[in-house]
Amino acid sequence: MGETILKVKDLRVNFRAWAGTVQAVRGVNFELKKGETLAIVGESGSGKSVTTKAILGILPSNARITSGEILYDGKDLTKLKEKDFYSIRGKHISLVFQDPLSALNPIQKVGKQICEALRKNEHMTAAEAKKRAVALMEDVGIPEPETKFSQYPFQFSGGMRQRIVIAIALALNPKILICDEPTTALDVTIQSRILDKIKDLKEEHDLSVIFITHDLGVVATVADRVCVMYAGKIVEYGTVDDIFYEPAHPYTWALLSSMPDLDTREKLFSIPGAPPNMMYPPKGDAFAPRNRYAMEIDFEQEPPFFKVSDTHYAATWLLHPKAPKVELPEVLRHRIQRMKEEREGA
Amino acid sequence: MAKYILKRIAGIFIVLFVVMTAAFFMMRLMPGGILDGVEENLSADMRDLIYAKYDMDKPIWEQYLLFLKGIVTEWDWGVSLKLYVNVSVWDILAERIPITLYLGFLSLLISVPIGIAFGTLAALKKNGIVDHAVSFLVVLFISIPSFVMATGLQYFVAYKWGWFPLIYDDSLPRITTTFLPVLALSFTPIATITRYLRAELSESLNSDYMLLARTKGLTRVQATLRHALRNSLVPVVNVIVPAFISIMGGSLVVESIFGIPGLGGITVRSINVADYSVTLASLIYYTLISLAAILLVDISYGLIDPRIRMGGRKDA
Repeated sequence: MGETILKVKDLRVNFRAWAGTVQAVRGVNFELKKGETLAIVGESGSGKSVTTKAILGILPSNARITSGEILYDGKDLTKLKEKDFYSIRGKHISLVFQDPLSALNPIQKVGKQICEALRKNEHMTAAEAKKRAVALMEDVGIPEPETKFSQYPFQFSGGMRQRIVIAIALALNPKILICDEPTTALDVTIQSRILDKIKDLKEEHDLSVIFITHDLGVVATVADRVCVMYAGKIVEYGTVDDIFYEPAHPYTWALLSSMPDLDTREKLFSIPGAPPNMMYPPKGDAFAPRNRYAMEIDFEQEPPFFKVSDTHYAATWLLHPKAPKVELPEVLRHRIQRMKEEREGA
Repeated sequence: MAKYILKRIAGIFIVLFVVMTAAFFMMRLMPGGILDGVEENLSADMRDLIYAKYDMDKPIWEQYLLFLKGIVTEWDWGVSLKLYVNVSVWDILAERIPITLYLGFLSLLISVPIGIAFGTLAALKKNGIVDHAVSFLVVLFISIPSFVMATGLQYFVAYKWGWFPLIYDDSLPRITTTFLPVLALSFTPIATITRYLRAELSESLNSDYMLLARTKGLTRVQATLRHALRNSLVPVVNVIVPAFISIMGGSLVVESIFGIPGLGGITVRSINVADYSVTLASLIYYTLISLAAILLVDISYGLIDPRIRMGGRKDA
């Protein structure tokens, strides 16, 4: 892993709503290293998509970045004007959407949609753009790209549409690819093929990838490092191994416990309660009310990041030297045991 | 496609037949008749003679069969009974249709671009002052019927300020003398198109494909023109035809207000004096033009929207 290519520092994003201000992102810090895949995991409403929209400057008009920096290539993206983003989007940072069904313009031929960026930004001729588009379509694994070039999105299956979206995202050779739940809308068999494709493309195109998902199975397949987000904050980050084998934050425990696997016999664990209303973020640790290991201080004061290892940090008071020793939940202990055995077996 | 169009044309003929039949019976079963107002000046013999000339001495179903026979065998739609006695109805209509179509198309020609401009403006500035102002006017113009507009314009612009002729004047250039009626007819379609496009466009501005267009490096203007606006104009085609039909409906009364010798004016007059054949013919004409317009839209919609054009041909 090389140098840092993108750095998000203390990012805060608020939404103006009818009833008040929603604090969607509350001080997020992370770094994306060149050539790595960073997964951001969290449930709906944890602020992961908002973070990526802030990076691309496509936040909705009622959202405002209240503080923080997004550093890319010596520039702070939060300070850029809309027109300065034109040279960043597509060319430096690209986005793959969650729902390929609605991401493509339904009444425009897919070829044209791929060519559009090439023609507008690279000023290619129609023939050059077509050649490049067909090559891209081949790259992302679309059979008979020449024929498919002049078809409409509704003539494609979900997986094929997502491939088109990926081809569009890669058209201008970006440095960073943000995948916002790219497989959520697809069925499972297609999911793994798209994930493999993204992995291959990452190598071929020398990409750094931010992968947004709520699916830990996906994380295990694609990610090098993981940030776990809850209620607009990152609560734990580390390498995939750190997060899967030595999770330190109770929220990560809960997430891992609620993921079914082939050996799940008992009733699947679910996290009690609901995420907090971000219009009134709770005092202290936002996860405390749903956390069976919560201590008094969790309701009073927000935990800082404690170092677990050089690569692994978690924001929970349980890691404070004075905190009582807490055992991992039993379900999780068994699961980690199984995962380790599988890994050794493999 | 050809089969589809043929099917639709057959449908049009069926509708025309039903409209014709219903109109034929309804008019004749209504109280009053062609001799209203002159009846007492005529002797009983005269009356019988006139009734016999137009087959009105026979039972109504026989009248209807004779009428149908006339159409089928000689394409004879009858003659005017009161307004222009004994002139063939189609001669009367043919003389009047051009000016009515002129009003209708001119009004549409004005409404479509203005409606698109206002609709786009309102959607782009959604919830701003411009949007609220436009939306207020839209509600106003949709609620005020064209004949009220026509009367208002006639009073203020023509009578008080004297900018335009009060009523239709053959000696003036057509554009001057029809300016006010065309304007009066245009308010509602402008408002309809504005409202529709505003809704469509603000939806597509918030769509994922619009976001994708922006993330792939298009400028906001490029993305708006090439994706959002283009896509939201497709469904607008759908309201243009109803707008045209409502212009036609509005011109019924507006023509009378401005004394324009068009189809609208004569239709209203023929109803008032029970000139059955003229009423029937203009009714047929209005029905035909409405159905043809709808057919035209359905066909063109398929041409514009590939999802409809290729519907069912998944592997095309």
